[in-house]
Amino acid sequence: MQLESPLILASGILDENGYTMRRILEEGAAAVVTKSIGSTERPGFTPPVVAELGENLLNAIGLSNPGIEHFADEISIAKGIRKPVIGSIFGASAEEFSTLASKMESYGADAIELNLSCPHVKGFGSEVGSDPDLVEEIVTEVKAKVSVPVFAKLTPNVTDIVKIAKAAEKADALVLINTVKAIHIDIYARRPTLSNAYGGLSGPAIKPIGVRAVYDVYRETSKEIIGCGGISNFEDVIEYMMAGARAVEVGTALKTAGRAIFDNIKTDIIRFMEAEGLDGIQEIIGAGVKR
Amino acid sequence: MIHADIIRKEKLSPTVSTLYFHWDADVKPGQFVMVWAPGTGEIPMSLSHIGKEKAFTVKNYGPTSDMLIKLEPGQKVYFRGPYGRPFSVVKGKTLLIGGGSGMASLHPLINRNAFGLIAARTREEILFMNEFESGKVRVTTDDGSFGIKGNVLAGLKDLDVDAFDMIYACGPEIMLYNLYKYLKEKKVNAELSLERLMKCGVGVCDSCSINGFQLCRDGPTFTMDQLQYMNEFGTEKLTFSGTRVNVH
Ligand SMILES: Cc1cc2nc3c(=O)[nH]c(=O)nc-3n(C[C@H](O)[C@H](O)[C@H](O)COP(=O)(O)OP(=O)(O)OC[C@H]3O[C@@H](n4cnc5c(N)ncnc54)[C@H](O)[C@@H]3O)c2cc1C
Ligand SMILES: Cc1cc2nc3c(=O)[nH]c(=O)nc-3n(C[C@H](O)[C@H](O)[C@H](O)COP(=O)(O)O)c2cc1C
Ligand code: FES
Repeated sequence: MQLESPLILASGILDENGYTMRRILEEGAAAVVTKSIGSTERPGFTPPVVAELGENLLNAIGLSNPGIEHFADEISIAKGIRKPVIGSIFGASAEEFSTLASKMESYGADAIELNLSCPHVKGFGSEVGSDPDLVEEIVTEVKAKVSVPVFAKLTPNVTDIVKIAKAAEKADALVLINTVKAIHIDIYARRPTLSNAYGGLSGPAIKPIGVRAVYDVYRETSKEIIGCGGISNFEDVIEYMMAGARAVEVGTALKTAGRAIFDNIKTDIIRFMEAEGLDGIQEIIGAGVKR
Repeated sequence: MIHADIIRKEKLSPTVSTLYFHWDADVKPGQFVMVWAPGTGEIPMSLSHIGKEKAFTVKNYGPTSDMLIKLEPGQKVYFRGPYGRPFSVVKGKTLLIGGGSGMASLHPLINRNAFGLIAARTREEILFMNEFESGKVRVTTDDGSFGIKGNVLAGLKDLDVDAFDMIYACGPEIMLYNLYKYLKEKKVNAELSLERLMKCGVGVCDSCSINGFQLCRDGPTFTMDQLQYMNEFGTEKLTFSGTRVNVH
């Protein structure tokens, strides 16, 4: 897949409505990943579904989605501009994932991202994504079913992410990382802030965790990596790339910086490359890994 | 999450109350907070009072607003914010058009230069009528139990909208959409404050978006010019799960 820059919108942030995805592409993202879509409609959890922790965010949206049958329109609205739209899907079994993937492909998605990593919903996401055998089965079946590229998005909430990365070896790229499982308690209300109690932490606080995951997986596998987690400026992007990422996804930073973040980071990266005398992004990828 | 003790409660109608609290923050007219009723839910509420003493005016629609309206002085309110783009404040004559609980967000704009047009379903639901100077307010009710019978457009019929330097409006989307179509012909300055489902309030979840603009961040107030490019305005929206449906 060709990208005009390494900057992709991460799944679950401003990507439920086709018009929003389209605007984000128009305003500078190289590609967008849709919100994760499942087989049937899910309302998700009752608000509060986010807690603001400074610039970080704890969320338990609860995989709310209209169901795959209702998502074709959003993809075609988003594709009003000719840039890649990556369809994110979640399921409980290899069979469910592959059915969802074919639907996404038929709607015009340019790639499929497998959500093997949402930390706050029972039976999905990281519960699926921490079982290496199941991960391998899902990736294998989806790869056999669709012809567009398949990305596997992994969870940091495991003992050994390299082991899961190797299980997902058949994927065209790995997306590292999803949110970190966490809780916030309101000490005056004396209860968890999120209605679901558990949520996923995102934002600057998790960047070092994401960089570590990319670093380890880059060293141990030959997979293409898309870095994600806590990126809010060009330095973060370069850091992820030096750890081994070829592209990155940006999510929570839109809360502070707004949709203009993609254009702003792009400008800053170009300036950085000029100042450092770099000819292409290839020179950066993996450059920070200790040999 | 911010927390404050309720210092006073004022019942405005059988289904609407104002809850006052101290909160040392700079809030502008039209901004809102996400109010949390622990164990029940979290919903967007405009600040109806933005001086040293703050307040929101809540109408009982469902579970969360019902919990809030039952709070009493001495109990705590929990909220985060303020969020959203405020109304732009102008000098000169203003027209405030409020439908139902939409009057809450217009309340901070009531002053000597303001003329009010209040649209309510029935007599009991008219809010803040007596806060306008005498002779500077008119009311429409759907059932004709007070004022002019009909919707907001009936109240505008013989009003010279050109005479105002700015028109502010807040209410249900369908009312604002009809108002927008009416005002578009007149070439007036107007800002409309929209209401849509809001899950996060901070511009990440996409539940409140219209044509890629986040109500919670780019709005909730929009100018006539901005609204003109939004084909989802008044026509389509996403439900709690994200399913595309007609607005009404
Ligand atoms: C910017 C803004 C400012 C506002 N200001 C005011 C104000 O000043 N005063 C005022 O009275 N009102 C105001 N409102 C409207 C107010 O937020 C709604 O009336 C409120 O959300 C009603 O919530 P509820 O839980 O009481 O009622 P409900 O109607 O039961 O819930 C609200 C909505 O949330 C959805 N929902 C909640 N939980 C779930 C779930 N688990 N599954 C599926 N759907 C769910 C429902 O679709 C429903 O439409 C404002 C709205 C906005 C956007
Ligand atoms: C509100 C919110 C919703 C999210 N929803 C999804 C989702 O549906 N699927 C998914 O794979 N990741 C989801 N994520 C995780 C992000 O895609 C991303 O992996 C994570 O937030 C870390 O990146 P960031 O720090 O740039 O936000 C969500 C994150 C947030 C904050
Ligand atoms: S309420 Fe989440 S983007 Fe506006």
